[in-house]
Amino acid sequence: MSRLTMLLQIAWRNLLASPVNLIIGGLILAGTFLFVVVGGLLDSLNDSMARSVIGSVAGHIQIYSSKSKDELSLFGGMGGDPDLSAVTEFPRIKEALEQVENVKEVVPMGSSGALITAGNIVDVTLERLRNLFKARDGQLDDPRLKGLSREELDTRIASTRRHVRQMIKVLEADQKKALAILKNQAIDPDVVASLAKVSQDAFWDDFDKDAMGSLEFLENKIAPQVTDAQMMFLRYLGTDLDRFQTSFDRMQIIDGTPVPKGQRGFLLAKLFYEDQMKLKNARRLDKLRDAKANGRLIAKDDELKRFVKENRSQTRDIVLQMDDLKTAEATKKLQTFLASTEPDLTTLLSTFFDTTDENLEARHQYFYKELAPMVELYKVRVGDTLTIKAFTRGGAIQAVNVRVYGTFSFTGLEKSPLAGGTSLMDLMSFRDLYGYLTADKAEELKQLQRDTGAKTVSRESAEDALFGEGNTIVAEATAGIIDEENSFTGVGRRLREDDLVKRVYTDSEINGGVILNAAVMVKDPTKLTETIAEINRVSQEKNLSIKAVSWQQASGILGQIITFFRGVLFLAVLFIFGIAMVIINNAMMMATMQRTQTIGTMRAIGAQRSLILTMVLTESVVLGVLFGGVGILLGSGVMAWLHERGIPAPNDVAYFFFSGPKLLPQLSSGNLVIALIIILLVTLISTLFPALIATRVSPLRAMQSDE
Amino acid sequence: MNSIVSIRDVVKEYELGTTVVQALRGVSLEVMKGEFLSIAGPSGSGKTTLLNLIGCVDTATRGVVEVAGKDTAKLTERELTDLRLNTIGFIFQSFNLVAVLNVFQNVEFPLLLQRKLGSKERRDRVMNLLEQVGLHTHAKHRPSELSGGQRQRVAVARALVTDPLLVLADEPTANLDSATGNQIIDLMKELNQKKGTTFIFSTHDHKVMQHANAVIRLADGKVLARESAKDAVAHALSLGEAPAEAPAGARV
Ligand SMILES: Nc1ncnc2c1ncn2[C@@H]1O[C@H](COP(=O)(O)OP(=O)(O)OP(=O)(O)O)[C@@H](O)[C@H]1O
Ligand SMILES: [Mg+2]
Repeated sequence: MSRLTMLLQIAWRNLLASPVNLIIGGLILAGTFLFVVVGGLLDSLNDSMARSVIGSVAGHIQIYSSKSKDELSLFGGMGGDPDLSAVTEFPRIKEALEQVENVKEVVPMGSSGALITAGNIVDVTLERLRNLFKARDGQLDDPRLKGLSREELDTRIASTRRHVRQMIKVLEADQKKALAILKNQAIDPDVVASLAKVSQDAFWDDFDKDAMGSLEFLENKIAPQVTDAQMMFLRYLGTDLDRFQTSFDRMQIIDGTPVPKGQRGFLLAKLFYEDQMKLKNARRLDKLRDAKANGRLIAKDDELKRFVKENRSQTRDIVLQMDDLKTAEATKKLQTFLASTEPDLTTLLSTFFDTTDENLEARHQYFYKELAPMVELYKVRVGDTLTIKAFTRGGAIQAVNVRVYGTFSFTGLEKSPLAGGTSLMDLMSFRDLYGYLTADKAEELKQLQRDTGAKTVSRESAEDALFGEGNTIVAEATAGIIDEENSFTGVGRRLREDDLVKRVYTDSEINGGVILNAAVMVKDPTKLTETIAEINRVSQEKNLSIKAVSWQQASGILGQIITFFRGVLFLAVLFIFGIAMVIINNAMMMATMQRTQTIGTMRAIGAQRSLILTMVLTESVVLGVLFGGVGILLGSGVMAWLHERGIPAPNDVAYFFFSGPKLLPQLSSGNLVIALIIILLVTLISTLFPALIATRVSPLRAMQSDE
Repeated sequence: MNSIVSIRDVVKEYELGTTVVQALRGVSLEVMKGEFLSIAGPSGSGKTTLLNLIGCVDTATRGVVEVAGKDTAKLTERELTDLRLNTIGFIFQSFNLVAVLNVFQNVEFPLLLQRKLGSKERRDRVMNLLEQVGLHTHAKHRPSELSGGQRQRVAVARALVTDPLLVLADEPTANLDSATGNQIIDLMKELNQKKGTTFIFSTHDHKVMQHANAVIRLADGKVLARESAKDAVAHALSLGEAPAEAPAGARV
C-alpha cells in the first residue's frame, strides 16, 4: 500500500515536472469529454429514436418474406418503396410466432402509396352543377341527391349557378391584372373572348336552354384557366387497425373516431391532414402562430415573412369557394374588421393576411371565428369517402372507396413528418389496392363472369375488365368538396358504397389474406437479438419463408443514421487518442531516457524490474485517469445540465429523433465505464514500450556519473 | 568463518570493439565481517570494477565471487536483486538520491522495497538513522535543497536503513571538499564501530584512506598488496600522489 503511495507520488511529481504532460492530458481530456458527451447524446438519440420507430410503425421486430428482392425499409429507401414479396400464409406464421417465448403480439402490415389529385375547384363546382341538372331531369341516381324535391334541386341549382358566376368574376379580375402586366399579346385572345362571353348576362339567360352544352363550354374554356389542381402523395399503411391501435399505444385519435372493429376505413395522419389537406391560408396562419409561440418573430424571420407574403397573394382558394352571397358577407365583415371601404374581397383578404407580430393573434382568432365557417377548411372531411386509385402490382388500375373515420397522431411525434406522414388503412382495402384477390373481389369476378357469360376469365383480363379504363393517371383520390361525384364506371362500381363500407370482417378474413410485412411486439425488449434469432430459427424449421429483422434494420437508412454517427464519433475519438498515444509514447520514452540514472540507482539498491515497470506505467495511468477523470466529470456535468434543461427539437424532422419536442439526454454508466477502460488501455498500451525499456536499464547505470 | 566477501581468481574483461580490455586480471580477496576496508589504486586500476562485482551489479568473466556465503554466479537476476536489497548498502560518488522524493522518502525507499516493516516501524527506523546522520530536521527537504555533504549523509542513511551486512561506497568523497569528505568517512566509521557493519570503499585520497583498518592496493587490475592504512598512506605519499585537497571529480 505505501509502496503504491510512493509510486503514485513519484508519478505525480514526475508529471508535474514535464510540461508535455499538459498537452497529453489535454488530449485525453478532450477525447474523454467528446466520448462521454457525444456518445451519451447518441445513445439518448438512439433510445428516443427507438421509441419513435418502435412506437409508430416498426414494433420491435419486423418480419417479411425471405423471397423479397429488396430489404424491408419502412420509411422508404433510396429508390422508393422496396420490392417485397407478399406473405401469403400469415395465419400460420402468426401462430408459429406466438409460440416464441418473448413474442407479445404480431401485427400484419403492408404499406404503399398513391398520388391523389385534388381537382380544381371550378371543375368540381361545374360537376356538381351538372349532377344537379341531371338529377332534376331524372337522369342520374346520385345517392346523395336522391329524395330531394324538385324545388330543393332548383334552389341548389340557382345557388351553384351564382357560385359559378362569382368564380367567373374572380377570374375576370385576375385576367384584368394579368393584362395590365403582360400586355395583350401574351394572352391567348380565345381565352379573353371566352371569359368575356360567360360574364355576359346573355350567356346565363340562355344557360338552361342547353344546360349540358353550356356546362361543356365552361368546362372546356373556363376551368382550364384555373391551374391550381394539386397533386398529393398519400402514403398509407394497411394493417389490422384494432391490433395496431392496442399494440402501438402512442397512437391516438385526434379528430373523428377509430375505425369500428373489423370494418373498412381510413385514418389520416394528422400532420399530413393539416399540411396537405387544409386550406393553405389557414395552415400558414397556424404555422405563424406556432412560430410565434416558439419565440420567432415575423419581423426577423425570412420563412415567416414568406408565409405572410404567400398568404397575401394566394387568396384565390378562399375567394373561389364563395358564391356571390358569401362574397358580399365576407366583404362586409372584413370592411368592418379592417375599418376599410375597399369593395374588392381579394384586396381585403390580402390586407387581412398582412399579419405582423402584433396583430397575428387577433387575426388568427378572427379568421377561425368569422371566415373559416364560410369555407371548407379541409379538402377531405371526417366522414367523407375517399376514392383511392392505384396501380396494382399487375399494372392494372385498382380503385377502392374508403371512408375517412378520423385523423390520428403518435403522442410526442405530433410534429414529426416521418411519423405523421403515413396514414392508416384497413387491410382489406389495402389488399384491394395492392391487387391481390380478396374474397370480395373473387365474388365480384364470379358475378362478372355470369354477367358476361364468359366461361373463363383470367385474373389479368378480369382486372382489366374491372378496372381497365385506359386511364393514365397514376392514382387519384377524390372526395369532399373536391369532387363529390367522380364518375366511376364498370362493374367495379359495386365495390363502392354501402355494403362494403359497412361490412364487418372477421379476424380470419383480416388475417387470411396477403400481407407484406408484420410488426412483432415483444415482452422484453432487452432480448431483441435472441428473439430475432429464435424467429429466424422457427421460420427455417417450419418453412415459413420469412425473415425477421430488428426495428433498426427495418427502418432502413434512418435506423443506420445513429450507427453512422457512432462510427464518426468512434473515428474522431480514435484519432484523438491515436495522437495522444503517439505523444505519450514519445514523452515517456524521453522521460525514461532522462531518468536512467535514477532507475539504475533503484535497481542497484534492490528494486526488481517489475517495480520499475509498475512505476512507469503508474505514471501514465495517473496522467490518463486524472485528465480522463476530469473529462468524464466535465462530460457528466454537461450531460446532467442538458438533462435538466433538455434539448429542444430544432425542427420538425428532429421530433422523430427526439421522440418528442425535447430530448432529455441521459448518461449511461456503461459509457463511463467504457470511457475509463479506453483511457486505461490507451495509456497502458502507449507506455508499454517505454516501460519495458526502463526495466532493461542496468543497475550499473547508477555507478556512472551523469556527465 | 567470518568472511563476508570471498573473491578467488577473478578476471573481468570488457570488450571494446575488437579489443578486449582486462579490468581485473586474477584478483583474490577475503573481506571479514566488521572490516572498514579501503580499496586504493590509480585511476583505471579496477577499483570500481571490483566494487561492482562485490555489489552484485556486474558479473565476473572468470573466477568466483561469493557474497554473504552465496556464489553470485549461480544466482538469478531476481535473486541478485534481493541480495542487493537485503545484504548490501550502496553509497554512490554522485549521491544518487531520487530527486522527486524528499529526504525521508529517499531513506524509506529500501524499506518499502523490502515490505517487511509496518509504517510506524519504518518511520522510527528512518528517523533514527536521520538522527544518526544529523539530518532529522531535514526530513521533509528535497535533495535539491541540500548541500553535497548533506546529500551524501542521506545516502549513508539510505544505505544503512535496511541494516545490511555490507556497505559499498565507490569514491564517496570524490564529489565533496575534503572537510566534508572527512566528516562522511567519520560518520561511516562511527556506524561501522557502533553496528559492526562491514564497509568497503574506494578512494584516491590518502587522507580518506587513513581511516581504514586495511587497504587493498590495486594496480593494473591486480592486487598489489593488502596493507595497513599507515603503510598505504606512506606508499601513496611516496608516489607523490595528489594531496588531500585534490579537487572533486578526480576521475578521468
Ligand atoms: N564499461 C566498460 N567498458 C570498457 N572498459 C571499461 C568499462 N569500465 C571500466 N573499463 C576499463 O576497465 C579498467 C578499470 O576501470 P575502473 O573504472 O574499474 O577503474 P577505477 O580504478 O575505478 O578508475 P577511477 O579511479 O578513474 O575511477 C579501465 O581501463 C577502464 O577503462
Ligand atoms: Mg572508479
